[in-house]
Amino acid sequence: MSSPMEQFKIEPIIPIQVGGYDISFTNSSLFMVLAVVLATLLLAFCLRRRTVIPSLAQSVPESLYDFVAGLLRENVGVEGLKYFPFIFTIFMFVAFGNVLGLFPYAFTFTSHLAAVGTLSVISLLFNIGIGIKKKRLGYLRTFLPRGIPLVLAPLIIPIEMISYLSKPFSLTVRLVANMTVGHIMLKIIAGFIMAAGVLGVVPFVFDAGIVVFEIFIGLLQAFIYTVLSCIYLSEALHEH
Amino acid sequence: MPQLDPTWYVSQMFWLIVCFFTMLFIMSKIILPRIAYIMDKRQRRIDNYLEKARENKALAEQSLENYQKAIAEATAQAQASLEAMQKELDEMVSKRQEELTRKLGKQIRDSEMKIAQGREEALAQVNEMSENLAWEIVKKIGIKDISRKEVKNAVTAAAEE
Repeated sequence: MSSPMEQFKIEPIIPIQVGGYDISFTNSSLFMVLAVVLATLLLAFCLRRRTVIPSLAQSVPESLYDFVAGLLRENVGVEGLKYFPFIFTIFMFVAFGNVLGLFPYAFTFTSHLAAVGTLSVISLLFNIGIGIKKKRLGYLRTFLPRGIPLVLAPLIIPIEMISYLSKPFSLTVRLVANMTVGHIMLKIIAGFIMAAGVLGVVPFVFDAGIVVFEIFIGLLQAFIYTVLSCIYLSEALHEH
Repeated sequence: MPQLDPTWYVSQMFWLIVCFFTMLFIMSKIILPRIAYIMDKRQRRIDNYLEKARENKALAEQSLENYQKAIAEATAQAQASLEAMQKELDEMVSKRQEELTRKLGKQIRDSEMKIAQGREEALAQVNEMSENLAWEIVKKIGIKDISRKEVKNAVTAAAEE
């Protein structure tokens, strides 16, 4: 029985070295590219004929659009619609990363801290950029909310900074943990199938159920990741 | 745990940045404008239809108003012409009645005159007959000293009593 951790192993496909850094094209990179390509192809295919009365295929991207737009409107407000492409891309990228990883022999890049962490940091930098553009120096108020006595500043500012910087961390860990645990469970139960012989049909059925459940978890985590990104965006835009 | 192996951190970060921004570019430049365009077009068409529906509704309401006004006018007109007709009829009837009354009155008067005439004539005849009868009686009895004229006077006096 192979280790359930083996599925997370990164293997280089095309080794690339630039300036002492190893940026090889790996199986992780492959699935990132696949997520982008498949998401683009799927959406482009569904949108090949754009009619006022949508076909079944056309209603898929439209529903996604409405869904993400609704998230933004609810969590950020109408001014959040300016940043719609960013949030939409986050949702699609994470959702495709999660679901693609469930295919047999596939690699789940969203189960890696480095990948998801980078995405969370991109999101954080995006929020900081928007916040500074919107509030200029007033953005520093984030770390010392109005109404707090100046005496408490030495205490409040580090706390606020830690809570601010922990946001991408919590985003990352939540997604990575969910993906990792789900895949480990799948793999362990799959290991029982062959080991149990004829009775292996029981873990097989169980595993099939878990796959369905994991599809749901994958989409749900993409949703949560997107909602939290929206909320952080809202905090960057509004006083709190 | 391969997640904690830093060998591939740089590679993952690099490819994630590349892929994410490629996808962001594709979404914001190609996919999302298409969706937004068609949804906007649909919204505009729906608004257009709603606008048209509102216009038609206003038109229908105007028509209804016009119709009701026309009905009211027609009713008033009919009422007026009915009244005029009634008046004309009343006039005609009263005129006819008057005429008839006049005619009948005339006939009555004529008839009364005729009756009076007939009576007079009859009375005259009665007088004459009485006179003749009286004369014949006088003659038959053989009274000689009474003239015909005296008999006549006597009969007339008796008749007038």
